[in-house]
Amino acid sequence: MTRISRPAQRRGGGPLASEGRWALVFLAPTLLGLAVLSAGPILATMAISVTKWDLLTAPKFTGFDNYLALLSDDRFQKALRNTFFYTAVSVPIGLLIALGLALALNTKVRGIAFIRTAYFLPVVTSTIAIALVWQWIYSADSGLLNQVLGIFGIPSQKWLSDPTLVMPSIIAMSIWQGLGVNIIIFLAGLQAIPSELLDAASVDGAGSGARLRHVTLPLLTPSIFFTGVLSLIGSFQVFDQIFVLQKPRPTDASITVVYFIYENGFKFFKMGYASAASWVLFLIVAFFTAIYFWSQNRWVHYQ
Amino acid sequence: MPRPVSPPASLARRLRTTRRAVLIGLLILGGLLMMAPFLWMITTSLKTRAEVFATPPTLFPVTAQWHNYPDMWNALPFGSFFLNSIKLATLNTIGQLISCSMAAFAFAALRFRFREPLFALLLVTLIIPFQVVLVPNFVLYRLLPHPFSSSGNWIGTQEPLWVGAFLGGAFGTFLLRQFFLAIPRELGDAARVDGANPWHIYRHIYLPLAKPALATLAIFTFMWTWNDLIDPIIYLRDIDSFTLTAGLSLFQGQYVGRWPLLMAGALVSVLPMIILFIVAQRHFVRGIALTGIKG
Repeated sequence: MTRISRPAQRRGGGPLASEGRWALVFLAPTLLGLAVLSAGPILATMAISVTKWDLLTAPKFTGFDNYLALLSDDRFQKALRNTFFYTAVSVPIGLLIALGLALALNTKVRGIAFIRTAYFLPVVTSTIAIALVWQWIYSADSGLLNQVLGIFGIPSQKWLSDPTLVMPSIIAMSIWQGLGVNIIIFLAGLQAIPSELLDAASVDGAGSGARLRHVTLPLLTPSIFFTGVLSLIGSFQVFDQIFVLQKPRPTDASITVVYFIYENGFKFFKMGYASAASWVLFLIVAFFTAIYFWSQNRWVHYQ
Repeated sequence: MPRPVSPPASLARRLRTTRRAVLIGLLILGGLLMMAPFLWMITTSLKTRAEVFATPPTLFPVTAQWHNYPDMWNALPFGSFFLNSIKLATLNTIGQLISCSMAAFAFAALRFRFREPLFALLLVTLIIPFQVVLVPNFVLYRLLPHPFSSSGNWIGTQEPLWVGAFLGGAFGTFLLRQFFLAIPRELGDAARVDGANPWHIYRHIYLPLAKPALATLAIFTFMWTWNDLIDPIIYLRDIDSFTLTAGLSLFQGQYVGRWPLLMAGALVSVLPMIILFIVAQRHFVRGIALTGIKG
């Protein structure tokens, strides 16, 4: 957080007190939003999670029953496993590909802006529209992927219904869609590296590989850390892809935690159960984010 | 006769140019791969139902079936989906611009108690997955009375999809505050000496100077609302109130296997975002580079 120098403040009345009142005016919408839409509801989720509530009858306090039920709910275990798998595969692969592409795209050639646009485009388009075309590409009968693989004699696969293929297929689409965000952040990081540093390394006889390893990559670690946080948090929330590609309902091979929350809360109207699952998701995200932040001392170099 | 350049140097240069050419070639190939699903979307949308299942697949339709577009448009009320998406994206954008800029001004330019802890609380909400508040928000909107809704409350109306935008947001406030902090305090102080109150300073000094940041926030809010899927499918019931994403989802369920029509629908729904992106690419790129947040 940027600290701004401020003049010596007067205690009590005077301009400060009036600024406080003005601040209240400017912050009124935000304070209301925090209370009823974001911070407040986080506490409400906790309260609802210890009840049994179908919205029609009054909520009934059930203690930790919902959490205990989650522990023995096979579908929730599958949802957790699939979400972890999705995160563990899509985050590192997505970052690596984006890093390689950003390094390659960081050149000054005529028309490079045009090429970059191609990589950014999937970012701005809705997942449902994107997933529709991927559903068509993955389609078991006459889908583009099976047709192309057929040319090489590879038999048709059920990309979106085979239990072992469904998550990798969805991950591939998600990586494709998310590359642009990471590339943009990496490019911004690369362009912030002082060229004198790279020039100095060249003068000292460092080849392009050594410059990459000892100058570019260390200076890029803050960007890598940043994209890592975003990808990590985002991947635990995967929903749209599952919703669109696994209609009418994902099997145990493809359900994710957020779909589990959606299904229980808004299909089965088990508000308490959905809230308990929300809290588990929150704790998992908080835990991994905390570990990730803690790890940054070991590998992130701030200039 | 000019002496030839010494062999090692020319070889190294030639190697460098070759490597560069290969790299550019690979990048173009990768770019085409990134574009391929969009191209496939376009060509499929112009094919007949039979052509779609042809083996081996054809790249282009024999004759472009332009009627697929009106067919798609009339299959479901796509006109009203479009208007609903435009309406909600616009309302969200206006709401975020007003409420986030006000909060950002308070955090950047005013002195008040609890400023730092309050800002920290706002930042925490930035990293909390929004699904955590899905249930309580639904419960809240179910409690609010609505005069024109068949349920009597806000469920089934479009209100839950835009009213919240007028109540601030962590991303927009953070983005604008960073921008406001770069505005010299002396500008505001000088105006204050001349008798301007904070509202004047916000309205006539900070807002005009922050136009680029406001544009970035506007574009992102518009895009997020346009692409949002989970909120429309949770809150909307009546097909006439559907957004494009909810409408496409319904379309997908009703026209299984009718790929040309589905692709036409998908293309029409992404086109406005692609145009917006190409027109405002600078703002997109800066916004992502600055905050890294996407939908």
